[in-house]
Amino acid sequence: MPLPITTRREFLHKGLALVAAGASVPAFLQQTVFAIDNPLDQALTQKPGGKDDRILVVVQLAGGNDGLSTVIPFGDDLYYRNRPALGMPARDLLKIDNYLGVPKEFVRLKSLFDDRRMSIIQGVGYPNPNRSHFRSMDIWHSAIPDRENVANGWLGRYFDCTCTGIDPHVGVSIGETLPLAMKGDRVTPLSFEKSENYRYNGADRARYEKLSTGTNVVPDIEVEAPATQPIKPPVMLGRSRNPRARTPVEPINPQTQLDFLTRTATDARVSSDTIANLIGKYQPAGEYPGGEFGEGLRTIAAMIAGGLSTRVYYVSLGGFDTHAGQANRHAQLMDQFARGIQAFTTDLKKQENSDRVLVMAFSEFGRRVTQNASGGTDHGAAGPMFLFGPEMKTSVIGQHPSLANLDQGDLKYAVDFRNVYASILQNWMDTPSRPILGEQFKVFPFLKT
Amino acid sequence: MARLHLQLQPYVPSEADPFDRVKASHLLSRAGFGGTDAEIDRVLSLGPTKAVDELLDFPDTSAKDQDPKDQPDLSAIEDLPKSMKALRQMFRGMSEEERKLAFQRAIVANVRALTECGRWWMHRMATGDYPLQEKLTLFWHGHFATSAKDERSAFLMFKQNELLRQYAAGDFFQFVKSISRDPAMLDYLNNTQNHKRKPNENYARELMELFTLGIGNYSETDIKEAARAFTGWTHDGEDFSFDNDDHDTGTKRFFGKQGTFDGDDVITLICKHPACQEFIAGKLYRFFVSDQLDSAVQNNLGQVFWDAKYKLRPLLRTMLTSRIFYAPATIGAQIKSPVQLVIGTVRKLNLTMPQTGVLAGALNQMGQVPFFPPNVKGWPGGRAWINTSTLFVRQNTAVFLAGGSAPGTGRRFMDRLISAGLDTRFQPKGGASSDKLVDEWVARLMGRPIDSDKRRVLIDSLAGQPSRPENVKNMIQLIVAMPEYQLC
Repeated sequence: MPLPITTRREFLHKGLALVAAGASVPAFLQQTVFAIDNPLDQALTQKPGGKDDRILVVVQLAGGNDGLSTVIPFGDDLYYRNRPALGMPARDLLKIDNYLGVPKEFVRLKSLFDDRRMSIIQGVGYPNPNRSHFRSMDIWHSAIPDRENVANGWLGRYFDCTCTGIDPHVGVSIGETLPLAMKGDRVTPLSFEKSENYRYNGADRARYEKLSTGTNVVPDIEVEAPATQPIKPPVMLGRSRNPRARTPVEPINPQTQLDFLTRTATDARVSSDTIANLIGKYQPAGEYPGGEFGEGLRTIAAMIAGGLSTRVYYVSLGGFDTHAGQANRHAQLMDQFARGIQAFTTDLKKQENSDRVLVMAFSEFGRRVTQNASGGTDHGAAGPMFLFGPEMKTSVIGQHPSLANLDQGDLKYAVDFRNVYASILQNWMDTPSRPILGEQFKVFPFLKT
Repeated sequence: MARLHLQLQPYVPSEADPFDRVKASHLLSRAGFGGTDAEIDRVLSLGPTKAVDELLDFPDTSAKDQDPKDQPDLSAIEDLPKSMKALRQMFRGMSEEERKLAFQRAIVANVRALTECGRWWMHRMATGDYPLQEKLTLFWHGHFATSAKDERSAFLMFKQNELLRQYAAGDFFQFVKSISRDPAMLDYLNNTQNHKRKPNENYARELMELFTLGIGNYSETDIKEAARAFTGWTHDGEDFSFDNDDHDTGTKRFFGKQGTFDGDDVITLICKHPACQEFIAGKLYRFFVSDQLDSAVQNNLGQVFWDAKYKLRPLLRTMLTSRIFYAPATIGAQIKSPVQLVIGTVRKLNLTMPQTGVLAGALNQMGQVPFFPPNVKGWPGGRAWINTSTLFVRQNTAVFLAGGSAPGTGRRFMDRLISAGLDTRFQPKGGASSDKLVDEWVARLMGRPIDSDKRRVLIDSLAGQPSRPENVKNMIQLIVAMPEYQLC
């Protein structure tokens, strides 16, 4: 909602631009107007919130998913020559065509695939691949490969760019800590490991509430104090001019600090009650696998069904670092992944939300082409990404990386992951990607409509 | 000698503004991790000046030099080679398979040793003789940040920890020279990859940007030239070593001066830069006194630091005895760090440190695990500690310490502990009067008075039976779950 101009200074600063634009800025003006200070004190892009907005669910396959065991080039002789023990026989696979197949565990995803609600992007990576879990994961999260110590992530910057308030519900991450990808400079989305732990678990709840939340405190959940400054593109490089990234707007004294804590406690209570209620009431249509991934997806389905204003959800499936004994381990993970996605998409279908939720699955790197001596594979580089949700243009995007023309024994990337991010930001989240990613990456249309 | 700014002049107790229990408790919370009743009594008897003298009276030495028996148990990594060279020698003659296994074992052993270092340090914070030294060590760990996530060697991380302890209140100039030679730091900021023929600027940049001067006080050229000065500064797995052949002996241009500078020369020039004294003084002020720092006060503090020739004690003494330190706007205005929250609660409830396992997850969710600062900027602190998620974890952890259920576990976990006779949880004694009991525990835990309505709620929670331990425990858990308890 546009906030009124209240001071003369504001009018002088923004008035002309306001006259030129209108209360709603036509899409073709977005890029230019966004380049200068935003005159409208609002997101030029979609405001987060509301039932009809699109949702992104990010699935992190942690540890380095072996792309060659997920999107299998069974039609290439080199695959079997490099993997005498790990190579999966063609008859055990679900064939996509004469060259590519997927593990049999993906049979659960067959209907999605046939309906073109699933897309595989091949050969995703970035220049100068880093084979350290931490560093490579940070790169995928920050989306700034050539800077270390970036303090925010691409989704966090998305929140900073498009949200006027500091409502933490814009994003929810299921996991012990908030991933860097979701950290903004201004916005800190919710994170919890189990929904049961996202609440006060002391005994005397009634008195706790009297003591911690106060009766005349207004929660921040809607919009906090209106921003009188235009929304600036977020600080990209992880280095702010002020050594304290957050400049306090108000003086710091016991009362203001207590008010801040009380407001946060009130927000937390409201949010915790809301979420517990949504999850408690929810009857899933799908059968989720046990474990953190399955439970995480079920929680997300419940929150989507409940109509929360959340735009981005984040969940992880770990265990992909298969240096040894890969065959069984990877198959189990494929099973978990497929079961989870199947249950989740089944649920969304029942909720009639299939067309507004996009799932994006990625891993911090693929694995080496040649198997190692322990029945496993070591850290590699390029790998596939997966999209599930609305109808896509094509089921397979890009070519499988060459197994002959390698980069130090690893698959070369063809698609920079930031192209995928940019495509999702622009085509799905309906927001310019350049302020978020630092440059304009080529966008490819992956959606049918 | 600079004249002291009004706010930095010593607080002098008077009838109108006495040195009371609130102030004594405040001093121990800031210059340590929170005081027990007995410690607060002692501070009261000493008065504000002598108390600070006593708090600052510790040897500028490592824990090992103070008591060789008081060290973490690093037996897990005893047999492991310390340097990359030794590691490579061990790997020689091994098959790829054996090498991988050996590497895995080394990682696991180091993780175990690091966990033990964390436990040891937290224990020292809670029970050591010199709480201010440990608080300062924690500050410097966030300042000269190095993370065990990248520096996997527990031996080197602990060595750095001892260095921080030694210089905690010492000579800052010598401190910078020493930390620039610290193997874990050299690894973390890639100075071991800073070569004459291929310089790496990372250390030079962070040294100036984060460790001494702050952005805007040097140029990119200064960084490039400083990097050249630090070439050859490396280590052998245990100690600093200078690789003469790898050192760029050419002339460098730095801060407008020219010379065949080496690392020490660059450090000297940095410390002479007027921005340095204010930068460091300001950071210490924000950590110990207030997030709110007036530029005149910062300028004055910088001057104090400079006049003391970069010795830290006089600067600390000035801050901890000042009027602003005891101002109403300061007392109870600081959001506790997760470590402060945990250690302070342990001290004030007179607990034995609980299992690190239970706390490790909680500290991780709260955003502060010793030896694992999130990045080279350390922990920003203040309101950055608080969001809806971390607030629940903070409250639930404090409640757990005060005898509640373990965070993230259900009642069943605690029931099992109780039936196995392993319930060593907090068991407070009852009292005769509800009013007196509440006032006693609020004084002990908060150190400051609370709102009368809230006091009433706490009194009511005792339901007229202040002698029942269960009621008392419930009341105490309510106190530590209050937003006021997040502040010190």
